[in-house]
Amino acid sequence: MKITVKAFAMFREVMDVQIELEFPAGAAVRTLLTNLTARYDGLSEVMFAAPDTLRDFVNILKNGRNIHFIAGLDTPLDNGDIIALFPPAAGG
Amino acid sequence: MPEDFDMSAESLDARYMRQIHLFGKEGQKKLRNARILIAGAGGLGSAIAMYLAAAGVGYIRIVDEDVVETSNLNRQILYRETDIGSCKVEAAEKTIHALNRDVEVDAVCRHINEKSVGNLVQGVDMILDGMDNFAARYILNRAGLDEKIPFIHGAVNGFYGQVTTLIPGVTPCLRCIIPTTPTWEKNAIIGVTCGAIGSIEATEAIKYITGTGELLKNRLLLWDGLRGESESIQIVNSPECTDCGFSESEPDARRFSL
Repeated sequence: MKITVKAFAMFREVMDVQIELEFPAGAAVRTLLTNLTARYDGLSEVMFAAPDTLRDFVNILKNGRNIHFIAGLDTPLDNGDIIALFPPAAGG
Repeated sequence: MPEDFDMSAESLDARYMRQIHLFGKEGQKKLRNARILIAGAGGLGSAIAMYLAAAGVGYIRIVDEDVVETSNLNRQILYRETDIGSCKVEAAEKTIHALNRDVEVDAVCRHINEKSVGNLVQGVDMILDGMDNFAARYILNRAGLDEKIPFIHGAVNGFYGQVTTLIPGVTPCLRCIIPTTPTWEKNAIIGVTCGAIGSIEATEAIKYITGTGELLKNRLLLWDGLRGESESIQIVNSPECTDCGFSESEPDARRFSL
């Protein structure tokens, strides 16, 4: 299945702005992040506070819905999904 | 107000002539009757306040508890060097009135917390986000949901920023899309990004008030000043959201039908 990943803000400093990836059926967001962190040097440090623990500013939207409210890293991927990786700005 | 100021209809028409082309005299009247809360008088709040005052919004309540510091001047265009040490909202009121004496300014020097927020959102049509932290943004988000007041969220970090218009019952709430407080080790900030994001927030307010165009709803606009690019991505509500998904009195029912 084909998944489109879009990276925003500081994630763009360590990875491509957009990338399309193929995964076998049954893959989850965790699979996707394993693929991305293997692909891009430095991404793992930016995204993870500890293995399996995302930093608090890492927001991942699956077709616009935050995976926090789905199943976290176990959120299943579906063909055609758009996954947005976005670290929200907080200043004003 | 100085006696020589001409408040005649002709003079007001002349003042707003260039924008009346966009939404008519009716739209201009709606702006004059609008009541806006600007939460935070920093970089974002400065851009929002200046553009809404220039556009002729009739009532601006601006809330901040800080005094003007030298390090604010790289981005907070409401203030001048002579304002250093002054209460921000009082200095803001002076600047807004120097631009447009017709705007009623309610300058509130107060901390925004769960206790104060109820009074602060009382009687306003919209809440505009000029905060510098998510704790306060979540409080405003809840207050907007409780009172069914649209909340225009904006935030900046360096050359990056994000903005979206959150309407209770129509769009996701802030908690749906950003469930936990993002913490940053360093939060660089430059005026131009505040200008870009604050200006989009003010645009949303003007569109909402005058009924012009299409709001930035159910979309999150992410601004990338480093690349000169912006993209708006779809956002959807989360039925499990702890802020808008449940009502305390009816835990099994959604707070709003969507």
